[in-house]
Formats: sequence, structure tokens, C-alpha cells
Amino acid sequence: MSPRVVAAVCAVIPALALTLGVALVDRLEPRILGLPFVLAWIVAWVLLTPAFMWVAYRSTRA
Amino acid sequence: MNAGVALGIVAVVVVATILLGLRGVRGVAMDPQEYIVGGRSIGALLLWLLLAGEIYTTFTFLGAAGWAYGKGAPAYYILCYGTIAYIISFFIAPPIHRIARERGYLTGPDFFADRYGSKALGALVALLGFVMLVPYVTLQLTGLQILLQLAGYGRLNALAAVALGFFAIALFTFVAGLRGAAWASVAKDGLVLLGVIFAGIVLPSQFFGSPAGALDAVIRDHPGWLVIAGPSSPSGITWVITTTVLTACGFFMWPQSMAAIYSARNEDALRRNAVFLPFYQVMLLLVFFAGFAALEILPGLKGSDADKSFMLVVQQHYPAWVLGVIASAGVLAALVPASGQLLAAASIVGKNVLADYGFARDAEAQTRATRFLVLIVALLAFGFWALAKTTLVGLLLIGYNGITQLFPGVVLGLAARRPHALAVGAGIVTGIIALVFFAVDQAQKGGGVVAHSVFAPVNTGLLALVLNVVVLAVLSVALRSSGAARSAPVRR
Repeated sequence: MSPRVVAAVCAVIPALALTLGVALVDRLEPRILGLPFVLAWIVAWVLLTPAFMWVAYRSTRA
Repeated sequence: MNAGVALGIVAVVVVATILLGLRGVRGVAMDPQEYIVGGRSIGALLLWLLLAGEIYTTFTFLGAAGWAYGKGAPAYYILCYGTIAYIISFFIAPPIHRIARERGYLTGPDFFADRYGSKALGALVALLGFVMLVPYVTLQLTGLQILLQLAGYGRLNALAAVALGFFAIALFTFVAGLRGAAWASVAKDGLVLLGVIFAGIVLPSQFFGSPAGALDAVIRDHPGWLVIAGPSSPSGITWVITTTVLTACGFFMWPQSMAAIYSARNEDALRRNAVFLPFYQVMLLLVFFAGFAALEILPGLKGSDADKSFMLVVQQHYPAWVLGVIASAGVLAALVPASGQLLAAASIVGKNVLADYGFARDAEAQTRATRFLVLIVALLAFGFWALAKTTLVGLLLIGYNGITQLFPGVVLGLAARRPHALAVGAGIVTGIIALVFFAVDQAQKGGGVVAHSVFAPVNTGLLALVLNVVVLAVLSVALRSSGAARSAPVRR
């Protein structure tokens, strides 16, 4: 895959998870570490986003 | 006595922060380039604080908690939009920076004026930015008023508190400049972090055993409060998603955010910041905990009073010095961003309206005009505060609806083949007219301009953005086929 495609995919995945994905997981149970499931989902993706964007960063620099 | 301790701590912290800001700019010659965009030499770490400045405003500190308190789960959107905004910035900030450096832009509207070859478009964008910054500054002013009143244990009346806040903001704006503000952010973010950890972890742990315990109590007493489309939740999932998209697009459109992009030392610093800034967002989770805990400890706050939620708990259950420290964090979170916003609002009108049209040509006249404009924005914000008693989130959304109308113009402005300035301008004007129409329509349906627009099923700002893009596209094609002159060819 070209670096541009890699970067685009790495950007689109967390962006979709934090928009449309939120609609799909808007539930209380199962609670994770006490958090409602939807909030745990959002927090997890906020923390995962830097990993995705790091891949995007490396691919566009190489 | 209590009021003296708490307000005393706030005063000491504010003065110390101003001194820190001044120390940061000591020995730096203050020409406009340095004052407005930090000489384009802000390194990765200071840049982090500048770019993240948005997150740690008084909105985060009070407004996000107030929303968790007053509306519940829809507040989660605040965690999502910043993260998506950083993803977008990974792609658009570096080229914006490169073009700005090559062409010597100082302000956000400079980008429009030069890329589309139209001084008038630059002036339009400047005026829009100016107007949309008013509710944003009002937000900070409202936050200051809440914090100072609480720290004064009700002894300080609202007007006196706002006047004091006003004075502090003006003072800070005159001394700091962009680099000074970045340095002041060091103190601000450190203290806010401390305050947020206290409010989001220590406070709920003392009342409920743990933050999760506070959530258990909310789930028991307010079923559905913690899911977005819950039975008691007033706004639907569609609104949350559309608002996330709108605010994410608008995040870097603010004049002060464009200035932060210009101020970077290089493109790589911007890219790396975009990668890691989402980590900063997680702090908002603690703010939600504080709001949910307050809902259980001190139920019954209505409307914009919800913004006081956890600060009232601190005031009633903790010693004055704790209140003083937390209030100081909040006061800095209002003061530092507010000064940046005042400066940005004043500088865009001073540069892209007055100077570009031949008024205030020399540097001295420009400085005078800019200071005068700072005062005007501050006065407008004051008037807005007095008239529209709305929640902090409501104020933020008014500003975002407007400023996001610049998004298509910025993104298309990066391309080699750009639409005609007329198409971009018409799109922006269409978006704004649509927003005014929606606002009037909602006001007539009752519930005020903000109350309803916040809970329409779809975010009205996004609807306006769609109309904006449609007009831009249609006009762009029409102008091209009619052979009207395109914008000046690009020099990359």
C-alpha cells in the first residue's frame, strides 16, 4: 500500500469508531472498570488513536 | 475569613502566572511577527501546550462537568471531538504551516486573502472570526464570574466579579503576546491537572469509595443517565454524532488556532503533536466523574447553575485553601485562553479589515487600533454575558456553528486548483444566513436561541455547513464554465 493510503486508513478507523461506532455501542453493560460500556469504548479509542496516527506518521515519513 | 483565604490564593496564583509569562518573553523583541505568531519558532513542547490550550479552558473545567451533571452522557461528545480534530490536524496543519511560512501570513484571514487572491474574502473571514469569538470570550468571562463568586463565598457580587475578571484578562493580554501565553499555559495546565485529579478522583473517592462508586450511584438514581440515548437523556445519538463531526472540523478554524499552527518551528513538530495530543483528552474523563459525583452529592441545580456543580461541592465540604487552589486552576483556565482569544479577535480585524483597507497603515497606528479592538471585543462579550444567560456548552456551540463555516475554504485552499473566491465567500455567507435562520426559528418555538438548537435531532451547524458546501460547489462550477477568472495560480 502506498504511504498515503496507509495514513488515510489509520485516520479513518479511529474517526469512525468515535462517531458511528459510538451509536453501535451506546450501552451501559457490560461495564468495564466501572465505566459504562459506551464511555469505556470512547476512552479506549481516544487512547488507541495515537497508536494509529503513529503508524500514519511513520509511513508518511519513510 | 474564608473568602479572604480563597480569593487571596487566586490573586497570588494569577500574579505569579503573569510574572511567569513575562519571564518567558524577557529579552524577546516584540515586533508584530513575534507578538502574534511567536516568531514562528515555537518548539514541540511549548507548541503542545498552545495546541492543547483549547482543551483546558474554563469550558473543560466547569462546562464539561456541568454538562455531565445537567445532561448526562451527551457530554461524552467532548471526548470524541478533540480526538477527531487532532486526526484532521495531522493532515491539514503541516501544509497550512508551510504555506503560511512561505507567504508570510500573520493571521487566519491572511490565508483566505492570499490563497483566493481576494482582500474582501480576507475581510469577510476576519469579521466572522471576530463575531464568533465574542461568545467564546463570554464563555470565559462567565466561567470567571462563577469561580470568583464561589471563591468569595457569595460576598463578591456578580458584577464586581466580572469586572475583576475583565481587568485581569485585559492586563494579561497587554503584557503577554503569544509566547507569553504559551509560557503561562505551563502554569495553567499544571494547576488544572491538579484540580481535575482532585475533583475527579479524590472527591468521588471520599464520598463514594471510588469514581466507579459515584457512577453506581448515578445509575441507581438516574437510570439511563450514562448512556447517550437513555430514557432520561434529552438529546439523541444523532445529535451527538453530528455535533462531534461539526466541532472536530471547527477546532482548528479559530483565529487563535491558526496562529498556533503558524507559530510552530516546523511541520514535523505539528505532525508529532497531532499524533500524541489525544492523550491529553483523557483528563476530561475525570471532569465527567466530578460532574457525576456532584449530581449525587448536590442534586437539584438547574440550567446554567449546573456549571457550578462540583465547585459548589468543594466550597461546601472542603477547607477554604482547597477551594482557593481549585478556583485558581479554573481562573487560569479562563484567563489564559481568553487573552489569546481577545488578541486574535483584535488582530484579525486590525490587520485584515483596517490595515488591508488603508486605515492604520503604520505599525504604531496598528498597535493602537488593536488595543482599542481588544476593548471592543471585551465590551461585546460583557454585553453578551448580560443578555444571554446560557450554559457554557451553549456558548461554545454558538461559536463553533459559526467558525466551522470556514472549514471548506481552508481545506480547498490547500489544493493546487482552488475555487473562485466568490464561491468560497458565498458559501460562508450562506452558512451564516442559515445559522441565523435556525436560531430565529428556534427562538420563536420557545426555549431561547440555544436551548433548542442544542437539542435539535441534528446539529444545525452541520446543516448550515452542508448548505455552505453546496453553494460553494455550484458557484464554483458555474464560474469555471462561464470562464470567469480563477484565483491566481499557485506558487507552492
